Amino acid sequence: MNLSIILAIAFGGALLTYFSGKISKKARDVLAVLISLVIAVILAFFYNTSSREIFYTGFLDFPLILRIDTFSWFFAFTIAVIGSFSIIFSLSYIRKKGNTDYYYTMMLLVIASMIGIILSGDLVSFYIFWEIMSWSTFLLISYNRGPAIAAGIKYIIMSVTGSVAMLVGIISLYSHYGTVIYTELSGLLYNASSGYTIFIFVLFFIALGIKNAIWPLHVWLPPAHSEAPSPFSAVLSGTLIKIGTYGIILLIYVIVKINVFLNLGEGIVSARYIIAVTGAITILIPTFIALLQDDAKRLLAWSTIAQAGYIILGIAYGTSESVASGMFHFFNHAIFKALLFMVVGAVEYRTNGVRDLNSLGGLIKKMPVTFVGGLIGICGLIGVPLTNGFVSKWLIYKTLIINNSPFLAFAALLGTWGTILYSYKLLHNMFLGQLPEKYEKLERAPFSMQLPIVILSLAIILFGILPGLPLKVINSIESGFGLEPLTINIWGITSDTGTINMLNLFVAVFLIGIMIWLIFKGSKKSAGIGQYDNYAAGTTVPKNKYHYSVDFYGPLHRMISPYLRDFIDDFYMSLARSIKNLGNGIRRIYTGDVGYYAIYIMLFLALLIFIQIKWKLW
Amino acid sequence: MVMTTILEIIFIILLAGIIGLFFLGLSRKIMARIHWRYGPPITQPLIDIIKLFNQTSMSHGFLFNFGIIFSLAGSVVVLLFLPFGRICPLSDSGGLLVILYLMLIAPLGLALSGGEAANPYTSIGISRKLLLAFGYELPLLLILLTVMTHYNTISIVEIVNKQFQAGWSFQHLSLLLPGIAYILILPAILGFRPFELIQAPQEISSGPMAEYSGKFLALTTIQHAFNIFISISLFTNLFLGGAANPGYFFLKILAVFVIFLFANAVFPRFRIEQAIKYLWRWPSILAFAGLIIVLITGKNF
Amino acid sequence: MDRNNLGKWLKSPGKMGQKYSLHALYFCTGCGIIEIPPSITTRWDAERFGVIPVATPRQANLFLITGYVSVKTLRYIIRSYEQMPEPKFTVGFGSCPINGGMYWDSYNTIKHLDKYIPVDGWIAGCMPRPEAVFVAVTHLWTLIDKGMADGYNKYRANYQYYRENQEKILGKLEWPPLFSKNIKHEEYRTIA
Repeated sequence: MNLSIILAIAFGGALLTYFSGKISKKARDVLAVLISLVIAVILAFFYNTSSREIFYTGFLDFPLILRIDTFSWFFAFTIAVIGSFSIIFSLSYIRKKGNTDYYYTMMLLVIASMIGIILSGDLVSFYIFWEIMSWSTFLLISYNRGPAIAAGIKYIIMSVTGSVAMLVGIISLYSHYGTVIYTELSGLLYNASSGYTIFIFVLFFIALGIKNAIWPLHVWLPPAHSEAPSPFSAVLSGTLIKIGTYGIILLIYVIVKINVFLNLGEGIVSARYIIAVTGAITILIPTFIALLQDDAKRLLAWSTIAQAGYIILGIAYGTSESVASGMFHFFNHAIFKALLFMVVGAVEYRTNGVRDLNSLGGLIKKMPVTFVGGLIGICGLIGVPLTNGFVSKWLIYKTLIINNSPFLAFAALLGTWGTILYSYKLLHNMFLGQLPEKYEKLERAPFSMQLPIVILSLAIILFGILPGLPLKVINSIESGFGLEPLTINIWGITSDTGTINMLNLFVAVFLIGIMIWLIFKGSKKSAGIGQYDNYAAGTTVPKNKYHYSVDFYGPLHRMISPYLRDFIDDFYMSLARSIKNLGNGIRRIYTGDVGYYAIYIMLFLALLIFIQIKWKLW
Repeated sequence: MVMTTILEIIFIILLAGIIGLFFLGLSRKIMARIHWRYGPPITQPLIDIIKLFNQTSMSHGFLFNFGIIFSLAGSVVVLLFLPFGRICPLSDSGGLLVILYLMLIAPLGLALSGGEAANPYTSIGISRKLLLAFGYELPLLLILLTVMTHYNTISIVEIVNKQFQAGWSFQHLSLLLPGIAYILILPAILGFRPFELIQAPQEISSGPMAEYSGKFLALTTIQHAFNIFISISLFTNLFLGGAANPGYFFLKILAVFVIFLFANAVFPRFRIEQAIKYLWRWPSILAFAGLIIVLITGKNF
Repeated sequence: MDRNNLGKWLKSPGKMGQKYSLHALYFCTGCGIIEIPPSITTRWDAERFGVIPVATPRQANLFLITGYVSVKTLRYIIRSYEQMPEPKFTVGFGSCPINGGMYWDSYNTIKHLDKYIPVDGWIAGCMPRPEAVFVAVTHLWTLIDKGMADGYNKYRANYQYYRENQEKILGKLEWPPLFSKNIKHEEYRTIA
């Protein structure tokens, strides 16, 4: 099977969906789901194959290449699967809103262009798909209008800045080496001066870092994630920002190669260490900011930045364990963050758009399946043992400690403890506590929302107990990069410096849990009571008021909030304002009066003459 | 092989439960004596548990039940990773990092269970509990990282073994400061005064436990007993060199526990801000200094 | 005191547990509460009998009404009593809960607490000294031993009667009835 067929299906399907929507709504829904599933299924068949093809040669005489190997298969497949789940989730979510044809088309276009980026085999086609993705993402982020438009504009301005930087980098590479194909470029930088390599690194990192929301390039992400439609937030957070991760891995391990990367600079000022420290900062600051959020989706958005920090830290640290943990965490994060956005989306759908954490509560009684999804999601996010997040986080801690970087390990560990706080707040304020009276008639989430939630929850548990499944793929990627693969089995990882075995843990937890459950069941049965039969110092429970959710971490909030102003965002906004003022100033020159223009020309000529007389420049 | 492991597991769980309950009873007795009272019999926690199991109880729903089971299971599983003397059934499947992670299951389970109760007292208690945990995790993580960097391993069994060869951790200058920091934060981990702000019966009606009755309260008491055992044995294993046999190990944790009881008996209670400020100041500075010293002097192994 | 009698523990652990682990909820309705701090602290130390104060009715099995009961506090007493898990024991402390005491002709004081919730024992006096509390506790032990401290079962059996009395004085109660139907007297025998 040809790789170009996948792209043809993806892009053609996106357009076809738009036109079929004009004929029949049902057909459009079916078509959208079908196309996304077909892409995922076709990609699944490419497992463990590697192929390469030139699909077009007419673009400025560049041969545009598609290629697949285990590395791109891993990313492409994850993206396709998460994409198809979020389209299934969209079915009922988007029905109430207008412009549905446009929504599905853009959604499929984003997925198609992401797969295009992953499958492309040269930097020019990488760039073309990158731009398609940026623009279609912009259109989807501003889908909801209102504040969403501002969020979208913030996104597209940062994204275009990055793209331009990357374009300069690509042109520079082409002018140096005469090629933009990965396989030909790879290893060429071995002979380049380290100054040139750093130059290329910086240019690419602006683009990739903005997409991956590395601190301090993260400012577009919180508004974009919170204003986008929830199923698209799942795609944004789960997969789209990971295109940046893909680009970074591609840059470091395919184009530049690991041995050049590790020798770039010495000690603390090495590229490896600087990027790793940036990753650590990206973990810490957003984690603390996430603690202070009151908007469910904005909280998750900050959490996304923090988790992207783990991935960057792992990839940049450069040991085979850390790279494995980075890629594994990418995979895990795609699953649990998509799940959490879907959970929030389901609540938002049923409560008519409420995502303010201070006005919800007690929904566990009304939406139990959604709650269980959320619970498993936050367990994965925290990395509770037996969920998938645990193994990837364990790997990164271990390699940081063994290789004598305790401060980086400290940042990663502390970030996890912050994660516990904000993710519990998310769950508590939405699902636990007192149910307000107005939600007493709430229904469960519709089936098309519950299905992806349930499947993704099961995936979290599955990959938590059997981490060997994804690690096997990651191992073969790593051997392709020239890193030493880990010694794994299906239950865990074995090595001299530390072993993990999920089977033992699973059996222990399971048996002990069963034992305690039996004791619990065996003792006297307890009577079920409702939320209005609570202890309230003897009085009857006040309705709608007996809930502690506003300022859930009030004391900590009061302590740390003065230090956590998002000064990076302030900096960008003041930059934007000063550019706007500059533009206003320049505009004032154009008065529309021909007389002024004549004077300008005269002045300019006089200036030229003056310069010529004074310095004799030309 | 499997048979001995299973026997070890049963032995450790039973022994830890007995020791934990003994500690609870002992704490009530010693506290009473410090207050110039006669005090309850040392078996009082056991009597309470027997009574609680014979009471009716009220449940707020599935998560209310599940959380408490989850929490207790989490505590029990940690026991299998901690060396008790020389016995450590699951030593080869994780190490110190896994212990660190498993230790958070217990508070998480209680938090979930309490959250379902729909009572603001429980929510306030949970909020305080998570904040306090966040407060003491900062120095605790630094301390554990110092120890792990010093011995260059993540396996707690190996840390204990290396202490058999080279003496207790306290004897190394670089681990002395983190050891002191651990002593300073241990009352917070145990929930002893001056960090008794999670339950605070006079303020927030015993916090997360406000809605527990009957068997729920019994399971919480058992979990508390395990928790005391775990926190103190982690300290003993990391800094006091573990022990060659269970009896000696018991004496060590007993000594540590009694010292903290004296502190518990005389202190009043912090507010949560004061607690976090305290925890992020002195213990963190000490632990941080220890980590710097370890990095400068290099690894000893 | 048979706390160390292992045979009895093996024979009826529930009963023995209830005897020697009385978690008390003090309902501070009036001046009687002033006698409670001495009885739980150094001088008299109630904890040696296993009596300790707890924070919420959910954790308690001994309900101590310390002082006069006004109409307003009766509501909270009933609510707290109903929230306690069974088996539960109520003790009225001082003469006011028994018959109104010095408030015998007050228009808003409850004269007969046992019309509204079952009371297992009374401590007479104004004020009773802390020693009287311990006498009451030892009496309660005897009653529990003989199965006579069964106020909670009486409450269940005659719930209709108690509820009517409560509603007569408090008006319509906000909470639904604790027991849905009136259990017959014969059934009550089997429960007891």
